[in-house]
Amino acid sequence: MKNAWVLARKDSAAYFNSWTGIVMLTLFALVAGIFFLFPLVTYTKMSLQASPEAYAGLKGFSPSRFVFGSFFLNFGNVMICVVPFLSMRALAEERSLQTLELLFTYPLSDFDIVWGKFLGMIRFFFFLTLPTLSYLFLFHWIGAEMDWGVIAAGYLGFFLLGTSYLALGLFISSISANQMISAMITFTLLLGFWVLEWVSSVTDGAWAHFFSALSPFGHYRDFTLGILDRSDISYFVFFNLYFLFLTLRSIEVRNWKG
Amino acid sequence: MPVNEAVNVSVTPPASDVMIQVENLSKNFGRVQALKNISFEVLRGEILGFLGPNGAGKTTTMRILTGYFPPTTGKVWIDEGDFHRDAKRIKHKIGYLPEHVPLYRDMQVEELLRFVADLRSVPRKNIKAEIEEKLKICGLTEVRSRIIGNLSKGFRQRVGLAQALIGDPKVLVLDEPTSGLDPRQIIEIRKLIRELARNRTVILSTHILSEVSMICDRVIILNGGKVVASGTTQELEDELSRHHEIFVSIGDHHRKMEAFELLKALPGVEYVKEGSEHEGQVDFTLSTFKDADLRPIISRLFVEHDIPLLEIRSGRLSLEEIYIKIVSQEPT
Ligand SMILES: Nc1ncnc2c1ncn2[C@@H]1O[C@H](COP(=O)(O)OP(=O)(O)O)[C@@H](O)[C@H]1O
Ligand SMILES: [Mg+2]
Repeated sequence: MKNAWVLARKDSAAYFNSWTGIVMLTLFALVAGIFFLFPLVTYTKMSLQASPEAYAGLKGFSPSRFVFGSFFLNFGNVMICVVPFLSMRALAEERSLQTLELLFTYPLSDFDIVWGKFLGMIRFFFFLTLPTLSYLFLFHWIGAEMDWGVIAAGYLGFFLLGTSYLALGLFISSISANQMISAMITFTLLLGFWVLEWVSSVTDGAWAHFFSALSPFGHYRDFTLGILDRSDISYFVFFNLYFLFLTLRSIEVRNWKG
Repeated sequence: MPVNEAVNVSVTPPASDVMIQVENLSKNFGRVQALKNISFEVLRGEILGFLGPNGAGKTTTMRILTGYFPPTTGKVWIDEGDFHRDAKRIKHKIGYLPEHVPLYRDMQVEELLRFVADLRSVPRKNIKAEIEEKLKICGLTEVRSRIIGNLSKGFRQRVGLAQALIGDPKVLVLDEPTSGLDPRQIIEIRKLIRELARNRTVILSTHILSEVSMICDRVIILNGGKVVASGTTQELEDELSRHHEIFVSIGDHHRKMEAFELLKALPGVEYVKEGSEHEGQVDFTLSTFKDADLRPIISRLFVEHDIPLLEIRSGRLSLEEIYIKIVSQEPT
């Protein structure tokens, strides 16, 4: 377990030392800023036009839900583009550099390696997300009412969505010899999951229900609305564990394939 | 671990002077049998050389010894511990330099060594001294903060060695440590390996014979996934030089066939090779068994048959020739 963390630190440091990492940090902050400012500006316009009494009467209107909810909902889509670039390095790079061979001979178990790789990506993902905390201050500063429950649920959902995508990307990275291929397959699969959500909106009845239950986005939406549902949380936990398990299996293949 | 019960392996550790014991090791990749039931042991403090052509199974053996993958059948004991029962603990005892020296190219030398020291559980307070020491041993002090990807091949090889040394493992496994280096670098690396071996057990592989006699105490020759010979270089030379050679040169090329048949019919002759033919002179090479010196018999025979004998001399096969002979035989 300690060794998994050593590996995670090495990996996340490598992101900071690479151009991909720097570009990602910059773009992520930029795009996040835009996605946050849109609903924020809309909200301030609304609050200037209408007197406080007018929309205080709108039962259930929460500025936090309006601004942070739409921010997380839209920004979740951005992860489809971000994750492939993060996860492609994880195992595919080590494989193409052949450092994976050395890694397997250090005192690490296969589980340590998978867990360490996963934590390394999450660590960098955490740093990517960190600047968004400044939005809390901005939001507070313009005098909006903070609904901590909604904001926390949004962050939790975003974290679960992100780690799920990363787990999928890690698995793809473990079966590809080449970073570019890894990124492309991951992107395609994530896009596929996104399309599931559309499919569910054009079908109806049992099928619609089926597709929406399968799609990460349907589950993610609840979080952005401030709803914590046990089935949504289970979905993401299962998603993570499933792809971590597949990754573990795929690196065990060397035992008989070399 | 997939250990086939049908294979005969011991359940008790080997004698305490044995550092590595390998018993009935086989490795299959699908239908390819890379290793076919090999056994050997390495004594503490020994430098053992794996010698063999490409595809002999050297890398596969080393990957099993370093815990990259388990054998299909068979058993490995290292420092009195059963490897695949206790892999994580035993991996601490082994430093490995893989064949193509894979390293994280965008890391600094020192950064890499620190990473390995952390993984190998070097106590925090010793890490600095440990890295300092290994940088010094491997002659890396001046490039310590350089990016590994920008270093020359020779320096990268040294970084590879340094990372294998971190945590002072008792066993060093070096897969073709001199391949791809220029002659000066080769000499330097060989010298370094010999120094490192003073208080460690070292296994190295090579396909260069002279390297083995230069560095190693003992040699195992692998071919086609099998051990075809093993021993000290002296022993190998003695054992295998029972193949004695005699060069015979006659002055009449019209008598070539006759001479050939005569030589072939002699007792103790393994084979006769017909060499060059120039200016009426014909050369033959005979391979015989050591204890029968056939030279007097041959000269008498040729005098009897009135064949002009120009030259006859015996030659001992060099280790090089023996090696080529062994590895060019189809392993049975
Ligand atoms: N991953 C693998 N899949 C299939 N065959 C392999 C694999 N690795 C090695 N081999 C085969 O096993 C044999 C031994 O290879 P190797 O141990 O690399 O030899 P050496 O290091 O002596 O050149 C070769 O015939 C090689 O083709
Ligand atoms: Mg090899």
